[in-house]
Amino acid sequence: MSTNSPSPFRLLALPFRWLWVGLWRLLWLGNPLTWIEWGTRLWVRWFGLSQHSFVIVNAVRNQRRATLTVLSVAVSCGLLVTVMTLQRELTIPPESESASLRLIARNKVSLAQPLPAKQMPLIEKVPGVVAVSPFTYFGGNFREETITSFAQFAVDPVRFRDLIVEGKVAEGDYEDFIRDRTACFVGKDTMDRYQLKVGDRMKFTGTFYPVDLDLKIAAVYTGTVDDRNVFFHHKLLDELTGDLGTVGTWYVRVASADVANDVIARIDQAFENSSAEVRTETERAFQMSFMSMLGNVKVLTMSISAVVVFTLVLVTISTMSMAIRERFRELAVLKAIGFQRRELFGFILAESFGLAALGAFLGIGGAWLFWGHINLQKLTGGFLIYFEVTPRIMATGGIVAALLGMLAAIGPSISVARTSVVEGLKTLD
Amino acid sequence: MAAAPIVVIRDLTKIYRQGDIDVTALAGVSLDITPGEFVVLMGPSGSGKSTLLHILAGIDRPTGGSVKVQGIEVANLNESQLADWRNQNVGFVFQSFNLIPVLTAAENVELPLLLTALSRSERRRQVETALSLVGLADRGHHRTDQMSGGQQQRVAIARALVTDPALIVADEPTGNLDAKSASDVLHILQSLSRSAGKTVIMVTHDPKAAGYGTRELHLEKGELVENVSKA
Ligand SMILES: Nc1ncnc2c1ncn2[C@@H]1O[C@H](COP(=O)(O)OP(=O)(O)O)[C@@H](O)[C@H]1O
Ligand SMILES: [Mg+2]
Repeated sequence: MSTNSPSPFRLLALPFRWLWVGLWRLLWLGNPLTWIEWGTRLWVRWFGLSQHSFVIVNAVRNQRRATLTVLSVAVSCGLLVTVMTLQRELTIPPESESASLRLIARNKVSLAQPLPAKQMPLIEKVPGVVAVSPFTYFGGNFREETITSFAQFAVDPVRFRDLIVEGKVAEGDYEDFIRDRTACFVGKDTMDRYQLKVGDRMKFTGTFYPVDLDLKIAAVYTGTVDDRNVFFHHKLLDELTGDLGTVGTWYVRVASADVANDVIARIDQAFENSSAEVRTETERAFQMSFMSMLGNVKVLTMSISAVVVFTLVLVTISTMSMAIRERFRELAVLKAIGFQRRELFGFILAESFGLAALGAFLGIGGAWLFWGHINLQKLTGGFLIYFEVTPRIMATGGIVAALLGMLAAIGPSISVARTSVVEGLKTLD
Repeated sequence: MAAAPIVVIRDLTKIYRQGDIDVTALAGVSLDITPGEFVVLMGPSGSGKSTLLHILAGIDRPTGGSVKVQGIEVANLNESQLADWRNQNVGFVFQSFNLIPVLTAAENVELPLLLTALSRSERRRQVETALSLVGLADRGHHRTDQMSGGQQQRVAIARALVTDPALIVADEPTGNLDAKSASDVLHILQSLSRSAGKTVIMVTHDPKAAGYGTRELHLEKGELVENVSKA
């Protein structure tokens, strides 16, 4: 019986072992922390040790733990940023000043009920009203799309100019829009998204209305809260549907924010007990009530964010206190050598902060790249077109991570401060 | 005529409170140490050797009495002053080396110099001098966790002397070493006191180690029972 000939199983397992080892080597080489450590070591070799390089070498000394910490911070920050972006996209409220001056009057029964066109002169007469236009949601599908995520509205082009005062239009183009009954007025984001130019045609298949639109782009606007919508002549819609007497909603601009509430009350009053009672809201309130169909988005996203942050806090605090507890003796030696308490705090804070910052950089930057390059419109069937990780959201994520880094340094700093050199020296490695 | 003492200890007491019981670690120790002495502190376990060493090195505080080092009453310094004072005046050598494993030998030795105003090149020169004094000039770039115990302890000695302190304290520096490494370490400590004029105070259990000193002190139950000068 031979015992020293290698078993066939061993031989078979060998390639897997190599694969495994090779994989780990690759992971190790691809780990930015490896490069940071090598870079620092080289730096120290040439330029001598400094308190900064000491912190870096210490932070990555347990590479597996440092990597896991950075990764968990990165994933959490990425998630946080994503959730915040989602919330912003879902509740994007018109926050511009001109938007706060606009009202939408709709049928009290429901949004789907039309309003009689003859209401317009009455609304115009309400004190405080500066401009009124019909505002009818067409809800068509663009080209071959099954769900088009930008809206089309039928408006009175002349009157409408006084409603989107903040929209910037190239000189003379708006007049072209007014002149041509089949022209449309398109937001720049939609132009860019579909690579359209002035003069191109946009074809829409009706979903609410049994008619299709064939519009020519006459003018482009930018600078509104939502530069996606397409506006066209209400007259055209009236002709196509053969219904000259109704509109979807009224779009109203008031003289100042102070009078908005009075105007709302007066418009509603004007049609009380008529066959088409009206409910007027600010544009913002209107959109928010629209959003409430999505459930309480804010509460949901807030609770997800809270859970993410809370988990993150637990993870970083426990890793940081582990990392420092392991080094209690070394910190005691540093104290004996003459390092001040505040210098040790500095080491702990810098290490904790540095790992959190690296994680935040990777996570937030990763989320930014990811959401910037993914075709979300396709992925969500047009439900979301924009998923812009704004600088503000990234900054919020960064601040959360920074606070976290500091928070995680507090506990270990306190226990290091409390432990005398002699006590620290007694602790076992 | 002996030189003025560098360390003057008078009626030093240290009492630890453990619940209701008082543990007397030092029960009134008085002692003078002159510069350049190699003092060996002996005594049974628990006799207060480490406590005495810690107090005169400024990492522990006495309950009563006085410790003056170079005329400075150490107990009067606050935490922060004490840290600076230790950095400038005391070098530590411990039984378990206590080096930073992720740093090279040279980096470990350089650590205390980070607190000084020395330039990089001055620091580097001092590190090289210290490492060559302990016979490790060519090992500066080695990680200390890959060195033998004897080498690690020599690195620790280099770290203790790199700031050129007047006082070097060593608590059982040979406790974890084999005989050969132990004698290397003891020779280095001896030459520090003999040729470099450092005052070395060493705690040890080992009677052979005691032979290297210029004076032997025996502690028992917190009291100095024997004080033999061999110089
Ligand atoms: N932190 C402490 N709390 C309570 N008692 C202590 C503490 N440190 C030392 N002691 C006691 O003081 C005495 C002297 O201790 P130590 O100086 O370490 O002795 P040695 O170094 O001679 O072995 C011992 O009885 C020890 O139990
Ligand atoms: Mg002891």
